[in-house]
Amino acid sequence: MTARRLDKGGRIDRSTPVNFTWDGKALTGYAGDTLASALLANGERVLGRSFKYHRPRGIMSAGVEESGAIVTVGEGARREPNVKATMQELYDGLSAEGQNAWPNVRFDLGAVNGLFGRFFAAGFYYKTFMGLPPFEWGHGTRLWMLYEKLIRKAAGMGTASREPDPDCYDHAHAFCDVLVVGSGPAGLSAALTAAEAGRDVILVEQDFELGGDLLTDPAAEQQRLDLVRAVEAAGARIMTRTTAFGLYDNGAAGLLERVTDHIASPDEGIPRQRFWTVRAGATVLASGALERPVTFENNDRPGVMTAEAARVYLNRFGVLPGQRIAIATNNDGAYGIAGELASAGAEVLLADMRNGDVPETPSGVTQKSGVAPLRAIGRSGVEGVEFASRSGDSWKPAGKEPCDLLLVSGGWSPVVNLSSHRGAKPFWNESLACFLPGETSEPIFHAGSAAGVWRREDCLASGAAAARKAMGEEVEEVAPGGWKNAIQPVYEVRLPDSHAKAFVDYQHDVTGDDVRLAHQEGFVSVEHLKRYTTLGMATDQGKMGNVIGLALMADALGKDIPDVGTTRFRPPYTPVAIGALAGRSVAGHFKALRRTPLHDWNLRHGATMTDAGVWHRPWYYAREGEGIEEAYIREAATVRKTVGICDVSSLGKIAVQGPDASEFLNRVYTNAFAKLPVGKARYGIMLRDDGIVMDDGTTWRLGEEDYLTTTTTAHAGKVMVWFEELLQSRWPDLKVHVTSVSDHWAGVSIAGPKAREVIAACLAADEDISNDVLPFMGVARITLKNGIEGLIARISFSGELAYELYVPAGQADAMMNLLWPAAEAVDGCLYGLEALGTLRIEKGHVTGAELDGRVTIDDVGLGKMASAKKSFVGSALRQRSELLRENRPQLVGIFPVDRSQRFKGGSLLCDPDAVTGFGEGWITAVTHSPALGHWIGIGYISGGAAAWKDKTAVAADPVRSGNVDVEIVSPHMFDPEGVRMHG
Amino acid sequence: MAETLSALKGHWPRTNVDRDGTRGVTLAEVASFHLTQIAAWPDSLARVGGDIAKAAGCDSAPGPGRAHEGTNGTLLRIEPLKWWLVEAAGTSGRTSVSGADRAVLDLSAARTWIRLSGPKASVLLNHFLPLNLSEQAFPEGSVASSSFHHIGVTLWRDEPGYNLFLPRSFAVSLWELLVESAVQYGYEVA
Repeated sequence: MTARRLDKGGRIDRSTPVNFTWDGKALTGYAGDTLASALLANGERVLGRSFKYHRPRGIMSAGVEESGAIVTVGEGARREPNVKATMQELYDGLSAEGQNAWPNVRFDLGAVNGLFGRFFAAGFYYKTFMGLPPFEWGHGTRLWMLYEKLIRKAAGMGTASREPDPDCYDHAHAFCDVLVVGSGPAGLSAALTAAEAGRDVILVEQDFELGGDLLTDPAAEQQRLDLVRAVEAAGARIMTRTTAFGLYDNGAAGLLERVTDHIASPDEGIPRQRFWTVRAGATVLASGALERPVTFENNDRPGVMTAEAARVYLNRFGVLPGQRIAIATNNDGAYGIAGELASAGAEVLLADMRNGDVPETPSGVTQKSGVAPLRAIGRSGVEGVEFASRSGDSWKPAGKEPCDLLLVSGGWSPVVNLSSHRGAKPFWNESLACFLPGETSEPIFHAGSAAGVWRREDCLASGAAAARKAMGEEVEEVAPGGWKNAIQPVYEVRLPDSHAKAFVDYQHDVTGDDVRLAHQEGFVSVEHLKRYTTLGMATDQGKMGNVIGLALMADALGKDIPDVGTTRFRPPYTPVAIGALAGRSVAGHFKALRRTPLHDWNLRHGATMTDAGVWHRPWYYAREGEGIEEAYIREAATVRKTVGICDVSSLGKIAVQGPDASEFLNRVYTNAFAKLPVGKARYGIMLRDDGIVMDDGTTWRLGEEDYLTTTTTAHAGKVMVWFEELLQSRWPDLKVHVTSVSDHWAGVSIAGPKAREVIAACLAADEDISNDVLPFMGVARITLKNGIEGLIARISFSGELAYELYVPAGQADAMMNLLWPAAEAVDGCLYGLEALGTLRIEKGHVTGAELDGRVTIDDVGLGKMASAKKSFVGSALRQRSELLRENRPQLVGIFPVDRSQRFKGGSLLCDPDAVTGFGEGWITAVTHSPALGHWIGIGYISGGAAAWKDKTAVAADPVRSGNVDVEIVSPHMFDPEGVRMHG
Repeated sequence: MAETLSALKGHWPRTNVDRDGTRGVTLAEVASFHLTQIAAWPDSLARVGGDIAKAAGCDSAPGPGRAHEGTNGTLLRIEPLKWWLVEAAGTSGRTSVSGADRAVLDLSAARTWIRLSGPKASVLLNHFLPLNLSEQAFPEGSVASSSFHHIGVTLWRDEPGYNLFLPRSFAVSLWELLVESAVQYGYEVA
């Protein structure tokens, strides 16, 4: 192949040279080039090495179906493997290199694989390495486990950067009446027709220029410009460098817009790609057709490409891809390019596989009939072609011809991928030798060559007709076809008994013999064939090889192609970067961070934060020289001694309002709520329908029809959804509205013997929170001395005299600026989740760790809260015998027998005689208890504390700290009578 | 009265960003406002609607997906049985909308109110919101509940542009996403 850039012609800008490097070599192309066209113009032939056999590969096409020039582009963090050179726009400074080769694609030691090619047939790895003879003859995978790593290392194409992706990506949504995919004659015509009829149209084109087939016909340039201008004038939204990669339910289409992949130094504020979700009323697929190769020996040599590719390189990029060109065709489509190549100065031999009527031979072209390519001669590049002619059902040699470029046209395959995503099964058209798009009940319409319409004027009409159908009009279809002389299907050319390498799927090195072997081994279903041989499973998704593979399978089975069936295409049509899928949901935005109103205040006051679901909550407030352990023990001890303040804003808060609010809560909670007085709070437990505990919390009655229900942080969303569901589907007759007010209120818990004193110091002059005015479980509206109005409830999670104080979120800082100095004045502290955990474990209070979706209200020791006088959610199914079993695991406290020892959360609780299996229970949480002076835990054990009285258990932690003898005690390990919180 | 702090305090971009000499989006926060939810019952819907329209100073209460601007505030119909009355603070005190046949709830601190305007405002919003924001589908006076990075938000379109109500606890996180994405269009923070 001796390609060269012509002095004129093409759409490139010869006044704007573009410098780039290929395998470290400095080369120059022009603005408007693709990497492939520039490499071709520079005479580069071997651009890749094949997947399995490391065979040299060159440019095979000029589009998305490229299977040879698959390269690595970019450096450092922007290094991207498996880029099709045909789709990569050239830019100044572009750096590209070959892949899957060492030391380089021109001389690759991996090519030794080709010598063993006969062993690398379909299923090679599984046959050879699973049950490796003679060591594991026919059984076992132990050796496979060893080999697998090596095999996986040897497989794969190219290597991605190990550095974090420096680019940003956006997601985007768009809506339109008509989405037109493809901007060839049919697409432009469809977009124009719909837009001129007033429809909102989005036209997407994967190329960087509009026009499709028109771009390769210099004589049609004015027509292209007129059409594009008309589409723009009609108001269609046009997206170039954008691939519609998938169609989904209800008119949704996935698009990938490549925003900066063609720019040398993109601005970092501009996303590299945008991942669009377009919702369209109707979709017109004018996605074109792809030219098929033919399977023959060495049909993958650099210098073998599709005839259409040569047309693109000549007419669009001004590159004459060869000097002595042989064209092998079985249809009329290649005759035009034959004449164009001859006019450009090449010596052209056109070999038509047909014997019958063929078009007139173009001027300057030598024509042969009835011969097909049998073998490409040459290794790193084509040096000639050996032809074959028909001999009965087979072929026989028919002479050789020298050439430096072998163009092949084995027919055309309409791009039916997108409608196939929607389940439209393509059907085989015998006379056109291709699959045409199948029927679908969805508003998806095909136009142009995607519908098998070959001639340009027919494509224009087809586009207009598809647009009118998309607008709901009854329109006569444009019939597929358009060639004067019929195509003669030829899928493979081989001599009887030949086993030379002749490729069906270039990207995965699947040969015709592999397909026949699969058939021999019983893989007769096309789905099995695909998986066994990996045919069509590479990045081109079978764009080049699928039809040939089907034809060969049909031949082996003695069936026709439609009887073999076809696999369904799946998204994406072309690869989509993971970064584009992720969009901006990366790093700190992987999930939205939820901040309490005191987030920044907490950070300013020394909080170390921890994740609590999507929240960040203060974990501990270390003072100088403290680690987490010292900090939380000090904080917990301070709460018991003086006072501590804890940010509890993340608790779920639901306003329950309406005349039936009491009735609603009474049905939801296990205990009685009907008679809760205004100004009082009550602790409640709610069950699921199946009788298992869902959540707990306090509910405050603020008014006759006005409640504030609190939930755990973890279950806030779930409880809110549950309330809505109950009201909408189960009890629509109840006049109750529920609204999340979690974000409205900032909440703090002020706990400790001096809690009342600290709060009192912050209240407006006429406020009183004495025990008489605000007793245990009392609730009041309250005003702070800086005028902030809030709510106060005397409730305790820590077991101390404690209050929860809520103010509107925007006034959280102002509240703390009063409370914190008052607490500091009595040697109080701020405390975080860790100390909160300590305090509640000492008291045996449960959290999400204990309410884990497995336990009953009896298991947590609160069975007496389940009313026997009323019905509530879960009241029936909690009576199941399994849930009433006496030896169920029940909530207990846990002490180490040797008080100097510690044990870990997650340990299993076992009988000392049977430290095995799941044991008798488990530990949910542990802490060092400053109040008790040793480590304690909380958890569940069969039969509860009563069953383990005077009996030692073992906290078994086989993979971490080993076994510790423990004593099982009541979960109320500190102040069991609750004297302190009632004080 | 103590100062009311915006959730976005300390998270505001330091500078405006130009893109090709222009700023495609103007971002602003309405830091101080009253947001009152009025929920009716099926049998009191019309009566409550009439009452609150009068209170807000508009002709009628808006139907689903619509907003009506009145002299005292704007009513948004955010659910079949619920309206929001949005009042900019400092105009004329709070409008009373209480009554026996409804549930009234103060949500002023529960939301962060961001205003977006400029030629790229809808494009920017569509990076996150799966809503058709065309003039035909979402004209002035439209209201929608939608999802922004999996978080429920409320969008209302008025004459200058879009009003986005974010749950306060997620406001900083969503605001960061908006600002980061707005860089590509250039922005001005008002």
